[in-house]
Amino acid sequence: MGKARRPVQIVILLFIIVLGGYAIGSTVFGDHKGRPTQGSTSPDFKLLGMDGSVHSLKEYRGKAVVINFWATWCTYCVSEMPALQAQWEKWRDQDVVMLGINTGEDRLTVDRFVKQVGVDFPILLDSQNEAVQKYGIVPMPTTFFVDKKGSIVSIHEGELDLTMLDEQIGKLVEP
Amino acid sequence: MIQNTKCECGHQNRVGTVLCEACGKPLYDSDQSTEPLEMRYDGVARRSQKSNPNFIDRIWNFFSSVKVAVYLIIITLVGAIFGTVFEQESNFVYFDPSTFYKQKYGTIGDIYYKLGLSHTYESWWFVTLLVMIGASLVICSLDRVLPLYKALSRQKIRKHRQFLIRQRVVYEAPVENLTEGWIPRAVISLKKKGYRVKHDEDALLAEKQRFSRWGPYIIHIGLIIFLLAVLFRGLPGLQIDKHYWFPEGEVTKIPESNLYLKNEGFTVEYYPEEELPEKFRESGRVVPKLFETKAVLYQCTADCDDPSKEPVLEEVKRHDIRVNDPLNYNGFKVYQFDFDLTPKLRSVTPSLVRADTGESYGKFKLSMTNSEETYQVGPYTLELSNKYMDFDLNEEGKPVSKSKDPNAPAFLFVIKGPDLPEAGVQYIYFPKQIDKERFQQDAINKRLGGLDSGLALDVLGMEDVDFIASSSYLNIRVDRAMPFVWIGLGIVMLGLVLGFYWHHRRIWLRLDGQTLILGAHTSKDWFGLRREVARFLQDMGVDVDEKHLENRGNQV
Amino acid sequence: MNVLEISRLAFVVAFYLYCLSFIFYVVAVTGKTWRNRDPVRHERKWGTVSFVTSSLGLLSHFIYCGTRWAYSGHIPVSNMYEFMTFLSMMVMLAFTVIFLIYRKILIGMFALPVAIIIMAYAAVFPKDVQPLIPSLQSIWLYIHVTLAATGEAFFAIGFAAGLMYLLRTVEFDKQDKSSLRQKRWLEFTLYSIIIVLGFVISVYGFRAANYEAVFVQNTTVIDSEVQEDSTIERIVYNLPPIVAPDDSKPEYIDSFLGLKFPWFEAPSWMKGEQAGRQLNTVIWAVVTGTLLYFLLRLLLRKPLSRLIAPTLKSLDPDDLDEISYRSIAIGFPIFTLGALVFAMIWAQQAWGRFWGWDPKEVWALITWLFYSAYLHLRLSRGFQGRQSSWLAVIGFIVVMFTLIGVNLIIAGLHSYAGVD
Repeated sequence: MGKARRPVQIVILLFIIVLGGYAIGSTVFGDHKGRPTQGSTSPDFKLLGMDGSVHSLKEYRGKAVVINFWATWCTYCVSEMPALQAQWEKWRDQDVVMLGINTGEDRLTVDRFVKQVGVDFPILLDSQNEAVQKYGIVPMPTTFFVDKKGSIVSIHEGELDLTMLDEQIGKLVEP
Repeated sequence: MIQNTKCECGHQNRVGTVLCEACGKPLYDSDQSTEPLEMRYDGVARRSQKSNPNFIDRIWNFFSSVKVAVYLIIITLVGAIFGTVFEQESNFVYFDPSTFYKQKYGTIGDIYYKLGLSHTYESWWFVTLLVMIGASLVICSLDRVLPLYKALSRQKIRKHRQFLIRQRVVYEAPVENLTEGWIPRAVISLKKKGYRVKHDEDALLAEKQRFSRWGPYIIHIGLIIFLLAVLFRGLPGLQIDKHYWFPEGEVTKIPESNLYLKNEGFTVEYYPEEELPEKFRESGRVVPKLFETKAVLYQCTADCDDPSKEPVLEEVKRHDIRVNDPLNYNGFKVYQFDFDLTPKLRSVTPSLVRADTGESYGKFKLSMTNSEETYQVGPYTLELSNKYMDFDLNEEGKPVSKSKDPNAPAFLFVIKGPDLPEAGVQYIYFPKQIDKERFQQDAINKRLGGLDSGLALDVLGMEDVDFIASSSYLNIRVDRAMPFVWIGLGIVMLGLVLGFYWHHRRIWLRLDGQTLILGAHTSKDWFGLRREVARFLQDMGVDVDEKHLENRGNQV
Repeated sequence: MNVLEISRLAFVVAFYLYCLSFIFYVVAVTGKTWRNRDPVRHERKWGTVSFVTSSLGLLSHFIYCGTRWAYSGHIPVSNMYEFMTFLSMMVMLAFTVIFLIYRKILIGMFALPVAIIIMAYAAVFPKDVQPLIPSLQSIWLYIHVTLAATGEAFFAIGFAAGLMYLLRTVEFDKQDKSSLRQKRWLEFTLYSIIIVLGFVISVYGFRAANYEAVFVQNTTVIDSEVQEDSTIERIVYNLPPIVAPDDSKPEYIDSFLGLKFPWFEAPSWMKGEQAGRQLNTVIWAVVTGTLLYFLLRLLLRKPLSRLIAPTLKSLDPDDLDEISYRSIAIGFPIFTLGALVFAMIWAQQAWGRFWGWDPKEVWALITWLFYSAYLHLRLSRGFQGRQSSWLAVIGFIVVMFTLIGVNLIIAGLHSYAGVD
C-alpha cells in the first residue's frame, strides 16, 4: 500500500467532499415541492387552444411570454381579465405573447366566458391539469412572466392591475 | 518523534503497532505485567497512524477515529430528538408554518420554528452530520480492515510467551507426560471442535470463524450503500411522489406520464357490530375494515401528446389497490391514500315535458363536463347557452359559478321549436331538486320568459341521474433507487449476523519444556470460549475450572 | 368456556407463575446463606424449581398468545395491552435463552421483575380484542412487531444484568464523589421502577373502587382550511383528577378522602390524545410511587440498593458485565431487522415511503443509534464494566420511551398502537 496511499486518500476525500456537498446542497437549496421558481426555466406544455389548434410553450421561444392561470369561477381572475386584454393589445406587436391557461373547465364554459368578457389573446384549456401540476399552482390567479430565453423572471400570485402588469412586461421586453 | 519499532524477534513493525506483528510481544509494556492485552485489530497499526501527519493526514485521522464516530452518533441522536419535540413541517401540508407553530405552541413554538427545528431532518446541520457519519464509515473501515486482514492472514504459529500469558483466557502449568504425541492429539481434539489448526513441533494455533471479524466492515459497507442510495434517490427522474384524485368511473390522466388510471369503483367497508368489542359498540364507534380502489392502468399508445385528439389507450395492469397492497407496474406504484364519499353529479337525463299535461317529448343526456352545445328533443331544439357548475348570484345579481365542481349545477338553455318565438325562449334548469328550490328556478324562468313556453325539464326517475359515487385519492410513486436501499440494508443485516452471532476464536498454545502455555482470544463471548478451552483441556487430561482460566491481570 | 376466556385465564396464570417463580429465585439466591444449608445443593434445587416455574409461566403466556390469536384471527400485538403483554413474553423468552447460555439463576431475580412490571403495566390498558384497521392488515405487522419486541426484550435483559452489575459493584462505604454519585443514581433508578409500580397500584386501586370523574372539554381543532372547529368531548377519569383537561368543565367528580378536585388545568401545549388525563395519571404514579418508596425506606431503614446489593455478593461482576453485553449483542441484529429494516419494508408497502421521520420511526432510529454507540464504546476498555452498565440501563429507558413515551406524549402515525 505504501506508495499508492496518498492518492487513494485524496481520491476518497474528494469523493466524500463532492457527494457530501451534493447532499447538503440539494437539501438546503433544493426546492422541496418541485415547483418552478424565479430564475428557473419555464416548463414546457402542450395544450389545446380555444382556436382549435395545439399550443406549446416551446413555439414561443424568442418571445416574452406572460402565462396567466385562471378560471371562470375565480373572482380575481375575472376582474383582472380586462387588464390582461389591455396589455395584450398594447404589447402584442413587441414580441410579447399572452397565454391564458384555464384550469380544468370545459370548452363551453370557457367559450361563453371569453365571448362575454371579450378577450382575444390565446386561451388554452388545461383539462387534465397538466400545466397546473407542472407549475405547482396553488392560488389563482397566478401569473408567470417568462423572458425571451424561457426563464421565469417573476411570479405573481393574486390579482394584477394595469400598472403592475405594464411594469412587468416592460422589464421582459427590455433587452 | 522517533520510536524504536523493532521487536526483539527481529521484526520491523510499522509506527503505531502495539503488539509485534510477528511474535505478538507487547512492544511498550513492562515484561512483568500480566494484565490482559489490548487485542483490538490484533495490535497492528491502523493505516493512518503516521509519525508526522500533514493536513490531509489530519483530516483522515479525524474521521478514522472511533471516538469521533461515537461523538457523531451521539450528536446525531440528540439532534434527532429535537425533531420530535413538535411535529415537522413535512408531516402536514396545509398550514403556513410561520404562523402555525406560534398559534399552536406559543412562544416556544415560535422559537422552535425560528431555530429551524420544524424541519430538523432537512436542515443543513443534520444532513452534514449524516455526511460526516458516512465519511467516518468509509475512512474508519478502510483504515482498519486492510491492516487487520494482513495481520490475520499472516499469523505466526509461535507467539511470544508474553503474548500468551497476557490474553484474557490463559492457562500456564507444568503438564505431566508431555510426550511427542501431545500436539497431534491436541490438533485432533481442536479440529473436532471446529477449529482450523496450524502447528509445528511444540506450538499450535487453532482458529475458527474468522469471517465474523469482517462483520463490522460488511455492516459499514451496507450502510454506505444505503446512504448513497438515499442520496441518489433525489436525483431528477428517479423519483415521483404525487397525490391525485381519481373520481369513480372516470379515466384520469396521470400528469407527467403517458399513463391513465381508471377508478372502477371505490369501496370502504366497516366491521359489522358483532365483530367489535362491547365498548366500541356502546360508544358507537366504527372501525374500517377495507379501503379498496378497483383500478385499471392504461398506457397511451398513440396521439398521446396531441391535446386535440383523443389518446389511444391500452390496458396494461388491473389491480385492486388496498392499503398495504399497492398497484405495481414496473416500479410505477399507486397507493391508496384517502377517499371522498361525497357523491358528485356526473350527468342527468332530463325529459322535456309539457308543464300542464305532463306529456313528454323525450329525454336527453346532459353531462356536467364537456356538455353538448345543442340537443334535439322531439320537435324542439335545446341550445345550451351557458352553464354554471356551482351556481350563485354575485353582488350585481349576475349568475356566476363559485367553483368548477358540480355542487349546484345550472344550465341555461334556449329552446326553439313549434309555437315558440323565432329567437327561442330562455330556460334555466337546475338538475338538483334542492337547488331548484334554493335558487327558485321557477321565479328565474318567469323572469326569463321560459315559463311562457309551457315546457319544462324534469328528471322522471332515479335511473336518469348518474353520480360519481366517490373519489379515491391515490399516491403515485416511482422510486428507482429503492433496490439499492434494500441491497444496502441486506448487506447491513448480513454483516450484523456474521459479526454478532459468530465469534472469532483463537487458541495459541506452546510447550516450553514440560510447561504448557495456552492463551485464547475471542471477539465476543468469553464465557463460551472459557468453556470450550476447559473442555479441550479436559480432553487432554488437564482438569481445570472454567473460572480459573480467566486472567484479570494484576488485580487478582 | 370460549377461547377468549382461556386466553384471559392463561394470562392470569402466567402472571402468578412469574410472581411465584420470582419468589423462588429470591429464595434460591438469598437462601444459600441460611443456616443448616448446603449452599451448592440449595442453589441447584431451588434454581431448578424456579426455572421450571418460570418456564411454566412462559408456557402459559404462550397459551395466552396462541388462544388470543386464534380468537381474533390476528397476532395479538395491535394495541398497547397486547403489545406490552407480548413484550413481557419476549422478555421471558430472552431470559430463558440467556439463562440456558449462562446458567446464572441470579438473572432470574432481575429479569422476572422486569417481565412482571411490564405485564402489570400492560394489564392497565383496555383488554378488548379489536379488529384490525386496514393499515395494520399486513404480514409485516407480524414480522415487524414481533422482531422489534424480541430485540427490545434482549435489551431488557441487558438492562437487568447491567443494573445487577451496578448493584454488585457499588461501594456503599466509600464517600468519594464518584461513589456517591453512583449510589445516588442507582437509588434513583430503583425509585423510578417503584414509580412504575405506583402507577399500576394506583390504577388498580381506583379501578377496584370504581372511581370516576367526568369532564367536558372544548377541543379546538384547526382543520385543513385553517378554520377553527370546536368539538365537545367527554373525558372520563378513573383516578381523582388532580389535573383537569385544558379548557374543560367538570361534569361530576366522585369524592376521594373529601378532597376538592381538580387542583389545576393541564397546559394547552401538551398534545396527544387526552393529554390532561395522562398527565393526571403520571402525577398519581409519582405520588403513589413516592409514598411507596418512603414507606419501604421507613420499614427497611436503609436505601433499597443497600438491601439488594448483598444478595449479589456471590456473583462475579465480570460475568454480569458480559451477560449484559452479550444479550445486547444478541438483541441488536434482531432489533435492527425488526424495528428498522422490516419497518422500512412495511412503510414502503403501506405508505409508499420507507422512511418519513415520523416520531416513532425517529425514536427507533435513536434507540438504534444509542446501542450502536454503546457497541462502539465497548471496543475501548475504559467503557467496560460500570460505564457500559450505565449505558445498558439508559438504553433501556430509551427503549421504553420509544414504546410508551412516544405514544403518550408525541402523536404520530403510530398513534393507533395507542392507549385509548
